Amino acid sequence: MNDLDQLKELLFGAEKQALDSISERVERREIRTADVADILPEAIHQSHQKDGELVESLTQPVGECVQRGLRDEPETYADALYPVMGPAIRKSIMHALRNFSQQINEAVEHSVSPQGLKWRWQASRAGIPFGEYVLQKTMRYRVEQAYLISRENGLLVDHVHHESSKIKDSDAVSAMFTAIQDFVKESFSPDRTGRLESADMGEFTLWAVHGPHALLVCVIRGVPPKSLRADLSAILERIHFRYGDAIRDYKGDTSTIPDVEVELERCLRFEAREESGETRSGPPIQIVILLLLLVAAAAFFGVRSWMYSQQQDKLDAALNATPGIYVTNIDRSGRNFVVRGLRDPLAADVIDVAGSVDIPADRLTVSMRPFQSLQPEILAARAAQMFGPPESVDISVSGTTLHVSGEAPSVWRQTLQSRFSNLAGVDALDVSRLTASDRAEFSERVASLSRSRFFFRSGVELVEGDAGRLREFASDLANLLEDARSFGYSVAVTARGSTDSIGDAAANAALADRRATFAAGVLASAGVDARTIRQADLDNTDGPQLADVSQRYVQFDLQLESMPDLP
Amino acid sequence: MTPLTSKVCVVGDFAVGKTSVVERFVTNHFSEEYLSTVGVKIDTKEIDFPTLGMTHKLVIWDVAGTEEFGAREMAYLRGASGYIYVADGTRAATLKAIERLHKQILEAYGAAPGVLLVNKRDLEPDWEVSDERFDAIATRFGNAYRTSAKTGDDVDQAITRLAELIIDNDMRGG
Repeated sequence: MNDLDQLKELLFGAEKQALDSISERVERREIRTADVADILPEAIHQSHQKDGELVESLTQPVGECVQRGLRDEPETYADALYPVMGPAIRKSIMHALRNFSQQINEAVEHSVSPQGLKWRWQASRAGIPFGEYVLQKTMRYRVEQAYLISRENGLLVDHVHHESSKIKDSDAVSAMFTAIQDFVKESFSPDRTGRLESADMGEFTLWAVHGPHALLVCVIRGVPPKSLRADLSAILERIHFRYGDAIRDYKGDTSTIPDVEVELERCLRFEAREESGETRSGPPIQIVILLLLLVAAAAFFGVRSWMYSQQQDKLDAALNATPGIYVTNIDRSGRNFVVRGLRDPLAADVIDVAGSVDIPADRLTVSMRPFQSLQPEILAARAAQMFGPPESVDISVSGTTLHVSGEAPSVWRQTLQSRFSNLAGVDALDVSRLTASDRAEFSERVASLSRSRFFFRSGVELVEGDAGRLREFASDLANLLEDARSFGYSVAVTARGSTDSIGDAAANAALADRRATFAAGVLASAGVDARTIRQADLDNTDGPQLADVSQRYVQFDLQLESMPDLP
Repeated sequence: MTPLTSKVCVVGDFAVGKTSVVERFVTNHFSEEYLSTVGVKIDTKEIDFPTLGMTHKLVIWDVAGTEEFGAREMAYLRGASGYIYVADGTRAATLKAIERLHKQILEAYGAAPGVLLVNKRDLEPDWEVSDERFDAIATRFGNAYRTSAKTGDDVDQAITRLAELIIDNDMRGG
């Protein structure tokens, strides 16, 4: 160290140390960082308290940080926002639903009333949707549009409107309103402090709220309450608070006033008209109509159900009255029926029975199991099926007796008599009123052989020729009796012996008996069952005694008797 | 495209064709019928500037014709970003009126972009404005056009030029 250095040390030693220390703090990054960290919170606090520059400075970088964070780590932000998003979404949905339900309620309430029909007609004529028309009629007021206009140049800063509002060129509207404002002020306000605050145009009212730099003009349908102006003023004040400078310097570049639309949308208020007491005095017409409709529907379904029930009863009765059908159950499903039970194959068809009570087949489901009925009608039908009677025969059953009447061939009757016991449920046959259709023919055969006489010379000696004739007669009679037996007839044959009147009467009677016995013996020898032959004497004792050869004979009388009783 | 909206005022003496010029520019239509404008009439027209990547919407205030602005007309001009001065080539006095109006505007609102349209070019044989006079005033205004609202000559060019001038002025922070 030379003298000069020593001198410097003596003169500036303390300052040099301080400079070195400062130099070190400036040059060493970690020390600088620590220093800034010490004062940063306080510096931010002071800067924020002083003016808005800090916020303005941080807006962009913080925004970019958030954007990058959302892009790179969306899960982290989603977790952080989760507690906020739920309530926010719920609130938004509730708000939308409330508006929607209110509109729906209004529309439904007026859709069927006389007034609603009138409005529907008027809405149709006006060419606007019915719901929108109802809304117009039922609302107290609605802010249809809101214009935020620069007071400096009349340029439109932003414009919001209700969805259904018809919008012209909003820039031209804004300019024209400003021109009118200027016109009014210059023409009717001597000190130029007056201003147009409201204007009426048919169903619309224009309200203008004036701020230092902007004019808020609202197009309102209906009659707004005075409190709305205060609300609109508050909104305009808030807009000035947030965008005052930007609006003051506005030259038509909307990007200089971002998100003002959100603030402006708060102007689009709606308030429904309160219902008058008169309309609340009774039940709404639509409720009455609804009740009437419900009663009518209940009556309709009740009557229809009753009619179906009646049909079911008729069907049940008809089926139960039908021989050979036994119904166990009838179910009804709406207008259709399901029939279950037993049915004899000979019984009437269930569908035909249903048809007789006006129930068509397409409304019927039949589930019947076969069985054999012992009802008289079915037994008669079964007998008819079994025996195939002629058309002239009637068959009926009472109890367990089969009654057959009418006229039928003897052969058929015999078949009936021999087989009727095979019919289940029948143990007796009544054919007392059944006549043989072939009886007349048979009677003629009997008549042709009856009263045949065979003459005797004397004693029991037949005259010449009658012996052969008697044998032929015997053969014919045998055939007749055979046929009678097969047809079921009973033929009584009586042989009557006769003598002339000469001689002792007792002797003659004995002779007559001998002659009858002789002739019967001839018949028996020819195959005629002797048991069918009876003998009788002719009473010829009262006349004069004559040797009359014509009285020496045997006469066979045939008598067709009625059909024998059943065994 | 970036939107920009500007207020433009059309000024000039009576019957110089201000409304016809605006109608030609906005609707490309011309009516022979003369209807005097009362107060102010508003029209809008968008002009695309693809090279600048922007759309410029002009809100055109067609102010009633006058030789000298009164308080009401001056109120209409407040906040205008540019002016369309319209004179009638067949009436030299209308150029004098333009000079007076221009002076009033400068005094009230300061300098702003403007274009001068000496109208009724379709009646050029009847013009009272000589070429020398036109050139002289064109030099002062910077942007002057001989236009015809009837034929459409140079109307679009003149007003589109004003739109460009306004953009330039805004970019310069004017």
